Amino acid sequence: MTPLSSRQTQALNSAARWYARLESGQATEQDRQAWARWHAEDSAHQQAWQRVEAVREQLAGVPGNLAAPALHGVARSRRQVLRGMLVVASAGSLGWIGLRSETRTQLFADERTAVGERRTLTLADGSTVMLNTDTRINVHFDTTQRTLELLSGEILVSTAADPGHRPFSVKTRDGRVLALGTRFIVRCDPDLTQVAVLEKAVQVSLPDGTTHQRLEAGQRMDYSAFSLGKIGANDVCVGAWQQGSVIAIDRPLGDLLAELSRYRSGVLRCDPRIAQLKISGAFPVDDTDRALAALESGFALKVTRYTRYWVNVSV
Amino acid sequence: MPANELSLHTAVTDLYCDHHGWLHGWLRKRLGNGFDAADLAQDTFVRVLKARNALEIREPRPYLSRVANGLLVDLFRRRSLEKAYLEALACMPELTQPSLEEQAIMLQALLEIERMLDGLGARVRQTFILSQFDGLTYAQIAERLGISLRTVNNHMAKAMEHCCLMQIQMQLA
Repeated sequence: MTPLSSRQTQALNSAARWYARLESGQATEQDRQAWARWHAEDSAHQQAWQRVEAVREQLAGVPGNLAAPALHGVARSRRQVLRGMLVVASAGSLGWIGLRSETRTQLFADERTAVGERRTLTLADGSTVMLNTDTRINVHFDTTQRTLELLSGEILVSTAADPGHRPFSVKTRDGRVLALGTRFIVRCDPDLTQVAVLEKAVQVSLPDGTTHQRLEAGQRMDYSAFSLGKIGANDVCVGAWQQGSVIAIDRPLGDLLAELSRYRSGVLRCDPRIAQLKISGAFPVDDTDRALAALESGFALKVTRYTRYWVNVSV
Repeated sequence: MPANELSLHTAVTDLYCDHHGWLHGWLRKRLGNGFDAADLAQDTFVRVLKARNALEIREPRPYLSRVANGLLVDLFRRRSLEKAYLEALACMPELTQPSLEEQAIMLQALLEIERMLDGLGARVRQTFILSQFDGLTYAQIAERLGISLRTVNNHMAKAMEHCCLMQIQMQLA
């Protein structure tokens, strides 16, 4: 973590605000004099301003007529790049061509939620799907199948009976979950898929086409494209997001923070020395600042906000 | 070699022997080709070696795949930026095209800028690029994005603060 004192972070924050004001083209002589006073009054201000200058210098390293189109054109975030990767993975050896020529169209998903958003959709057959935070799905319904492709995030599916008896399944990078008249949750993490059955049953099939596993109501399992994990029992924590919470029972702090960070933008870090600290409680996902405040007061932790998007939890 | 260096070295060697095989396969599946996969598998262990924490790794598989995944993302980002950059170059009149050496230096500089901008919201990022590289005024940006001047101003401040923090972090790393 950046070892900045709060004086330094405050100075950076005001330096950035000064930069924005002076860069506007509307700055007056009074503004400049005010800036000079600010700059002179504290050595931390001078250091922070040096940093702003260093960033500007770095930005000036590439001419604007090249940098602008390149930076506008590039896949815009880590997540988008990750989504690009899923496509490549499923497209096999032709993946490169796909990625290189059609990144943007392939990044398109039928339905998505923003970070912190939750939304329920009703599908053409009357089934409903609730999308948790930062989730993307594609919907493929035709005369023979009802398939949801979960590209990232987490969904709760409640299937409706289909007069045409078309099978209903959720596809992820790691395999397929076939619904057997049911309500279930599928979550797509960077290296595995999690499924939890709330009613009836599902069958999980891996891409090899020969590995299958049936899961009954109350059961959950993690799996990757290569192997099935152990079958476990659902507890109160499963699907608590529907009601807007994360529930932790003796959960390591590092884990819990990783979970909460799904619901907020920016960086949420945990001091490795306390990552194993066991925490229990219910934490609101719609207001993660409140969840952090609860951790701060309830467990005597220190929450340091470098910026709104950059938060560190330590002792 | 001092004893602790030796045990660190042994730990990485063990890790390599036990896990190089599946890691290569895992990367290959994602990349769709064996050459890049071999490079990235190698880079993954170089990272572990540099991090000097091989003795503390309790669960090597998730750890290694996390490291490898980060490298994979960097690779994709690099290629994606490279492509956009080459397209931008191709649009320039031939007379003003930089030399090959200049091109390589600029691509490197661009990659570092891209890393610095990583994590900014789409709107903030766009505002910042329009101002810094397209040379638009705040008023033009406000009109183009349909936001207020005040929001442009706030986006600019937020982007600069983010870049400062990222630059500090990148210099520490």
